[in-house]
Amino acid sequence: MSVGFQAVQWNRKKRVYDAILIAAVALFIGAFMTIGALRNPPADMPAWINLRIKAFGTCAFVMLTIILMIGPLARLDRRFLALLYNRRHFGVLTFLVALVHAWSVADWFLVQGAVGDLIAEMTGSPNYGKFIGFPIKALGITGFTIMFLLAATSHDFWLAFLGPRVWKALHMALYLAYGVLVMHVALGVMQEDRRAFIPLLLGGSFLAVTLLHLAAAWRERDVAHAATANWIVVGAPESIPDQAARIVAAPNGERIAVFRDGTQIGALTNVCAHQNGPIGEGRIINGCVTCPWHGYEYRLEDGCAPPPFTEKLATYRVRLRDGVIEVDPRALPPGTKAAMRLPSVG
Amino acid sequence: MTRGHRRFHRLLWPALALVVALGFTMALVLRPPTEPPEQSEPGK
Repeated sequence: MSVGFQAVQWNRKKRVYDAILIAAVALFIGAFMTIGALRNPPADMPAWINLRIKAFGTCAFVMLTIILMIGPLARLDRRFLALLYNRRHFGVLTFLVALVHAWSVADWFLVQGAVGDLIAEMTGSPNYGKFIGFPIKALGITGFTIMFLLAATSHDFWLAFLGPRVWKALHMALYLAYGVLVMHVALGVMQEDRRAFIPLLLGGSFLAVTLLHLAAAWRERDVAHAATANWIVVGAPESIPDQAARIVAAPNGERIAVFRDGTQIGALTNVCAHQNGPIGEGRIINGCVTCPWHGYEYRLEDGCAPPPFTEKLATYRVRLRDGVIEVDPRALPPGTKAAMRLPSVG
Repeated sequence: MTRGHRRFHRLLWPALALVVALGFTMALVLRPPTEPPEQSEPGK
């Protein structure tokens, strides 16, 4: 996981994921271009390029919407974790689709010898002071630049170089890109094309992303309310699912994942050392706590990754009191042995 | 996600969602009336 350097760490699951992704993108763009050409046959090269612009632009927007839905979906239903596993490849492919869209816009001006118009629109337009009529290409370039930054820093090299905290904070800029791109479409194609399905699809996509985030945040409220003073009550041992965890919140807001592996109970920070993924939403596989995001593994007893890996998680003391598991919210240094074993469970 | 990320995330997306929802609604309401079709610039 952290030993040696590989450009991309491929495995069979990632190849299948990517193959399905590329096939779906090809199908979407092929269908869009075919149906568009049949319904309104392009008369010349600029019209063909315009169709390409719309096909790739729509595809990139749909992909971006799906990417933003994966996080809350995985939090609400574990079956969506499969989508989260390789989300970075999804993001990079979205950037490449957006790149074709952006290149096609430039191409539209190039084939007509009108690059000067594009430059004038971008640099000296008085429309920057307007709402309707605002230069939408400036919004597109802003969103595209953010996507470029995120795609360029998606590799684990940048994750290690910047550190998980900075990397994660940087990649939250995707929300900003999405907001800018919603307005790119709302002030662009939605103004030109009066058909009802455009605002319906655009508004529906935005609403879906928002509602899913609200639903996931609502579910987290239960965890936040569990925090009390000193030791935190987790529940009876059998209330912790075997080879999985219950997540509790420390008074300082930090999440603690309390795992049970048979009769062994251990508590780890809920933040994976790799990409700050939610460890407590993972499972114990082959004796190791396994992060649901990218499969990073840690021993339950001390939070250390098994050799030859070197990642360590902070651990927490646990105890059984009056038949109830409690956890001390004061974190121990990463790699400290703190798990306990019960005589029996249930 | 660390506590800091969670706090940032919770502040960022509702504020952004409100701004975008307002922008989208304004863009929808202020759409100009339909004009006769002609060769138009690329939409996006």
